[in-house]
Order: sequence, then structure tokens, then C-alpha cells
Amino acid sequence: MKTYILRRLLQMVPLLLGITFLSFLLMSLAPGDYLDTLRLNPQISAERIEEMKRQFGLDQPWYWRYFLWLKNAVCLNFGYSFQYKIPVWDLISARLFNTFIVALAAMVFAWTIAIPLGVIAAIKRGSFFDRLSGFFAFAAISIPEFFLALLALWFALVSGWFPVGGLYSVDYDFLSPLGKVADLAHHLVLPTLVLGIGGIASLMRLMRGNFLEVMRAEYVTTARAKGLDERRIYFKHVLRNAINPLVTLFGYSLAGLLSGAFLVENVMGLPGLGRLTVEAFFAKDVYLVMASVVMASVLLILGNLFADLMLAFVDPRIRYEK
Amino acid sequence: MIRFFIPLLLLTLFLTSCGRREQEAFVDKHPLPEDVEIAQCPPGKYGGRYLSSTIGDPKTFNPVMAEESSSTEVLGYVFGGLTRYNSKTQSPEPGLAKSWEVSPDNKTWTFHLRRGLQWSDGTPLTADDVVFTFNDIIYNPKIVNRNRDFLSVDGKYFKVEKVDALTVRITTPEIYAPFLIFIGTEILPRHKLQKAVAEGTFESAWGINTDPRDIVGNGPYVIKSFIPGQRTVLSRNPYYWRADSKRQRLPYIDEVVLNVVPDQNALLLRFLAGESYDLGVRPEDVATLRKDETKGKFSLYDRGPSTASNFMWFNMNPGKSPKTGKPYVDPVKLEWFKNQKFRQAIAHSINKEGIINSIMLGLASPLWGPETESDKWFNPQVRQYPYDLEKSRQLLREAGFKWDSAGKLTDAKGHPVTWTFNTNQGNNQREQVANILVEDFKKLGMEVTLRMVDFNALVNKITDTYDYDAIMLGLGGGAPDPAAGMSVFMSSGRMHQWYPRQPKPATPWEARIDELMQKQLKTLNESERRKYFDEVQMIMSEQVPYIYLVTPQSFVAVSHKIKNLDIPKQGSVLWNFDELYLQ
Repeated sequence: MKTYILRRLLQMVPLLLGITFLSFLLMSLAPGDYLDTLRLNPQISAERIEEMKRQFGLDQPWYWRYFLWLKNAVCLNFGYSFQYKIPVWDLISARLFNTFIVALAAMVFAWTIAIPLGVIAAIKRGSFFDRLSGFFAFAAISIPEFFLALLALWFALVSGWFPVGGLYSVDYDFLSPLGKVADLAHHLVLPTLVLGIGGIASLMRLMRGNFLEVMRAEYVTTARAKGLDERRIYFKHVLRNAINPLVTLFGYSLAGLLSGAFLVENVMGLPGLGRLTVEAFFAKDVYLVMASVVMASVLLILGNLFADLMLAFVDPRIRYEK
Repeated sequence: MIRFFIPLLLLTLFLTSCGRREQEAFVDKHPLPEDVEIAQCPPGKYGGRYLSSTIGDPKTFNPVMAEESSSTEVLGYVFGGLTRYNSKTQSPEPGLAKSWEVSPDNKTWTFHLRRGLQWSDGTPLTADDVVFTFNDIIYNPKIVNRNRDFLSVDGKYFKVEKVDALTVRITTPEIYAPFLIFIGTEILPRHKLQKAVAEGTFESAWGINTDPRDIVGNGPYVIKSFIPGQRTVLSRNPYYWRADSKRQRLPYIDEVVLNVVPDQNALLLRFLAGESYDLGVRPEDVATLRKDETKGKFSLYDRGPSTASNFMWFNMNPGKSPKTGKPYVDPVKLEWFKNQKFRQAIAHSINKEGIINSIMLGLASPLWGPETESDKWFNPQVRQYPYDLEKSRQLLREAGFKWDSAGKLTDAKGHPVTWTFNTNQGNNQREQVANILVEDFKKLGMEVTLRMVDFNALVNKITDTYDYDAIMLGLGGGAPDPAAGMSVFMSSGRMHQWYPRQPKPATPWEARIDELMQKQLKTLNESERRKYFDEVQMIMSEQVPYIYLVTPQSFVAVSHKIKNLDIPKQGSVLWNFDELYLQ
């Protein structure tokens, strides 16, 4: 097992090199740079723009800039943001917790609801409940998230039960620790619903499909034939086998925990990483984008590894040793 | 699930409501500065918290390094300069300096600081801070900043000297007309930033990762807390130098909360929910808000034409690309574009009323020159080009253009008139306007291809490669003074877009504009400046190198809670924030 993990971790190196190289290349090939908005400002002189270009190293060829970036990145120095003029890591770390807590809440919410619903829908296949949940799942998948977010804000406005966007109250800094938790929870309700609903729908359908497929397996018929009661069949045999593909999916969704959801963050005013990254991308704030890309890639790779290990754990048929 | 959910909900509601902190009433603990400024506003009452929204995070708390409005918006509350720009009268007024005189040659200015000024941490504010701000920061060759571009004449810096603790002498190399506006740049505290300047770390000093308590200012507010991506909270500066007629220190409002709300729809919802007290209103929301206005919680103000402008121009650059050796513009086309009658014909073919009614919901005004009606430098005499295709055809005929049997327009030598019209993609309204324009150009028998280009690629065309026929662009809020347009109007200017950086003026009218722009820059007599700039606007409208399109009407909605509101025609609605109070 150890050698397997080690090998997978070593594979990360060329993979990350490739990802960062391609991202850097694509961002450099796209026309324009960070100074473009300043170039259209009549109050800034040409000399100033030249000065800034030199200062930001934008007068150097892209491969040289990539090389310098890589050299520093190896020492975990991801550079400065053009827009903010402070280290990019300071910017990212300030938002890490927000993104994490929102995504975690949405994920827990989605998984705890979707799996039981999927199982029930599969067991009661063709029933009214199955058809109703199917209808809602398709509706939820087809409604875009940002629209749900707007609906949620509108609901908050009309009902007055929830804050209209944001993640912390104005008084947050002056609340007691318990008050802080409550305040955050209060703000989290709507984002969790909005981000979770799409997840519920797809996970539920997936769970239902897997469950049905396993129910048709011969060993289930055997179990039935030998007179095992249905509960045991469903929860001890079918569920354990049906959940495997979802474990893989779980690994992928770990990466999503820290990459943020731009559209929803934008509408609901959540201070997350998605917004930071997309805004940085539009402003051509190269090093901030690169740091985000690296972080998301590392998480995706680790999430994948984690999912594979989990699979080995839950499914005795999978072994990585020779 | 529901059984579990509702108690949790109630619990959180309960906990959040009991968590509210009571604000204690403001007691002024410090004596007013000896030279306190007495504001003209009716006296208000202390207390309360102002809720506002902004579309983006501040990128820095360092006023010299701030490059965009999300940062300058916050910093405007925290820092002031020697002079203070009055948005209502559109002219500079005393700020940290209570008065000034200028020498007979109009080049040497002596500023007298108010006695008893203090930074927000109680340290006295003196001439040393002013000299430090200019000499050690703005003019420091190691600190790249844009302030020195407008704090210089012909690339030469001002000389800033301390006369005594409260007097500063500033000498400009030439007479500089907008001096009093631009000298109002933010003054920074020497005792806080000297170290960063000495160590060469000033550019990243006071970034958003700084402890707000370290950011010491001289404006009405200081930064109390900042959560990235969420909000900035400001609290009163206990040493602020303005007071009302009852000698109560301003500002009245205890705290300002600037929430980051990047989405326009969410912004509207926040305003309607009472979680924001002011709102810049989009044209499409005007009707909705007019309806809600009757409920009596807020008022909708029509501020008239905004300062934003849309315009198009033809490339008249006769140069060759140094890379390929090919001319930037096809010489055949260049001949058309350089023809005044051709440009006037185009101007007459633009249906501004149609654009306003079909795309801008009737909430815009036609634009005929560089300044909009709300600007004090606006010249109402400029030539207008009403929509008249017959007039366009006549002008084209006069310029030697002909129509072939199929109705296609050709020039005198028989070249068919075809050109490409570029604008940036991603702005829905601009794309619609471009489509309408192209339809009308086609009615004249021209073949016009519309091309939507990525914004950065468009900037590249405008500022670097010059390989285009015509471009349409929109620019936001105008600058407070004609001097800010030097790089646009001067033929040698970087932003003289139809033919930038001319070695010498290409045409007599451009030479005349150069002369007028230099003249208006080098006199302090405002009526003389107006005369010069009026003529610049006249020439621009005769020659139409820029064909101006429309400017949207600017609407703003403000809650009835806010008193002492004094809305100017342009600039921030809250420009007199220190005088506002909450009911």
C-alpha cells in the first residue's frame, strides 16, 4: 500500500508541471495583460505604463517568467498579486475558510439527503414517491444555480427570515463565540440550500440507478432465495455494493470544496475563492490565478487518491498491492 | 428533518438577535482644532450606522497605490488633502490647508495648514507630513505611482518645501491650471510610513492584510474592520477637523458599513430589504423603483446625463507597422477616413433617438461632444448632427463618393466602400448599439462588417498594433478638469486615439487644438480657460474625429433615513458624507 501511495504522489510532479505550464502558456497567449485597463486611462502617462511593465516583469518573455515563477513556487513562494500588491497566499488564505465552510455544509447537506432518498426511490421503484422525487431531481438539475441563488435572496427579502446575502453580520467581530457560530449558521442556511440542491438531485439519481442495478445481481436473488429478510438484503448487501461509484465521486467533490462556486458566490455575496479567482482571471492577475490553479489541482489529485484508497477500504475486491 | 430544522432555525434567530451590541452615544473627548472648519450644513444628530454596498473589494488601503474605484471609494472616507473637491460647485475648496496664496508669476503657492490638526491616532499633522507625502513618496523614483502624472507639468515635478511647521511652499515649473484640484491628493502620515519608505517596502505597505488600526488617516472615518470579500467597516475619526455651526464635531454617523455585493440584482434586493441606504440605479430598474418609491421609504433621483460616454472613431494613422512593414490602414480607406465630409456623413447617419428609445429605454441623452451637460465645462454651442440619411448622402456626394447601379457606395476611383467596425464583446448594450449603427451604415450603401473583439485584444489594437478601421468604445466617468484630457486632445498624446503620438500635428485643426490645450493649461484665469476649451469642443464637433453617441441618464435611489443629502450632478452622491445624519 505504501509504495502505491508513494508512486501516486510522485506522479503528481509531472502532472502539476504540465498543468501549470499549460495554464501559464494559455494566459500568456491570450491578448492583453494586467495593465490594459490602465492603458485606457487618459490620466496615466506612457512612461508610467512602461515603468509598471518593468516592475511587474511583463516586459520579459513568458517562458522566462514561467521559469522564475516555477523556481519560487518550488519554495512555496507563489508571488505577489498585481492588483493587491501583497503575496497571493495572504489573499487566498483569507478566503479559504469561507469557501471550505460553505462547500462543506452544502456537501454534507446533499449527501445526507440524497443517499437515503435514492435508496428509498430505488426500493419503491415506480411508486408515487419515486416519480415525484424523479420529477424534482430533473427540475433541480435543470435550474441554473445562480437563478436559485437569486430566488433565495428574494425569499430572504420577502420573508425576512434570513440575511439578504453575505456570510457574516456586521457585528460579527463583537459577538460571543457561541453567537459567532449561530451567526454563521444563520447566514449559511440559504447558500447551503442553493449549492446543495443540484448535488442532491444528481446524487440521488445516481444512487437510485446503482441501487437498482445491484438489486438485479444474482447474489441478491440468491440471498432472497435463501430467505434473508429484505432489510438485511438492502442495507447489508445491496447498499454496500451500490455505493462504490459514489465513493469515487466523493473524492472528486473534495476538490470542489476549495475551488468555490463563482456564480453563486457572486449573487449571494459570499467571500469565497471562486470570486477571487475569476476576478483575478479577468484582471489578468497572473500569479493569483496560478496559485488558485495549483491549489485546485493538488486537491483534485489528492481527492482522487483518497477516493481510490477509500474504495480499497470499502470494497475488499480492490487491492493495489501485487 | 423538519422537526430538527425548525428548532435550529429558531435558535439561530434567537442567538443572532440577542447578540446585538448597543451603541453608546458619541461623546467628543478631544478639543476641536483651533482652525476647525465650520460646515454650512444644518446641524444634525449623532449616532447610527450607515449601510452601503460596493461592487468589489478594496484592493489596497494605500491611497498612493490605489488604482481602481473599489479602493478609492473606501479611502475617500479615510484620507483628505490640502484642498477638497466640492462636487456640487465642481471646484476645489480648503481642506487640510485653511488658506493659500499664489505669487504674482502664478507659479509659487504657499499653503497654510490648519492649526491643531491631528492624525486619527492623535499625532499632530504638520508640514513634515505634506513634504514627506510629495517628496518621499509621490516623487520617489523607486515608487511607481500614477499620482505624479498629474502632479507634474511637461514631465517636470513640483518643488515642495517646508517653510515652518504649518506652512508649505509648492513651486510649479510652469503655470498649471488645475493645480488646486490635483494638489488635493491624499496626505499620508510620516510617523507611520517613514520606515516602509526607507526600507523600500512602501508599495506593499498598507495592503489589505494590514491591521486596520495601523492605518492612520485624516478624513472623517478610520477603518475599523475588514473582512475580505465581505465588508469594510469604518468608524469615526475622533480628531476630524470639521464641525457644524453648533461646534459639534463631524461626522454625525458613527459607523459606515460597505458590504461587497458584486451582483447588480442582489444589489437591488439589498436596497429594497433596507440593508443598503443608497443605490446606483440601472435603467431597467427605474420603472420598478418608481413604483416602490410611493411606499415612502426612499426617493429616486434623476441626476440627468451621466459623465459616461460612448463614441466611435476611424483610424487615421498613416504609419506603417514596424513588424510587418505594412501600413496600419489600407491607404484607400485612409483617404476616406481622413475626409471630414466622410466623417460628418457618418455622424448624420446615426440614429441616436432610435438607440435611446429602443435600447436605453428612453433613459439617455444624445451626446455631441466630449463633455456632457452635467459638466461645468460643457459647451452647448457644439455642432450637432441630427439623424438625416439624405444629408449623409449629400455629404458623401460632395466628397466624391458615388453609387453604382446596385446601390453600392464607391469612392471617386471606384473602390467599393467596405470597412470593419470593432467593439468589445461582453457588453450586451454596446453590442446592440453596434448592430443598430451598422444597419444605418448599410443604408448608405457601405459594406460594414461588425466584429466583437475581446476587451484586452481591443485595447491592444488601440494602444499598440493600430490595425483596425473603426472602433466603438465606452468610457466611464469623466475627469474633473480639461487638463485630464491632455493625452486625448494633444496630437502627441497617447490617447489621441484616431492617430496617437503624432511627431507633429497631422492637420491644421489638430495643431490648433494643441495650441488651445497648451494655453488653457497655462493660465489660472478660469473664464480664459473656458474660452480655449470651448473652442476645442467646437473644433472637435466640426471635424468629428470622435463621433459621440449617447450618454445614459444617471439615477440614484436613497433611503429617507438620510438627512442633509445634497446630490450633485456628477460624482458620488455621498460626497458630503461627513455632514449626513440618520433619522
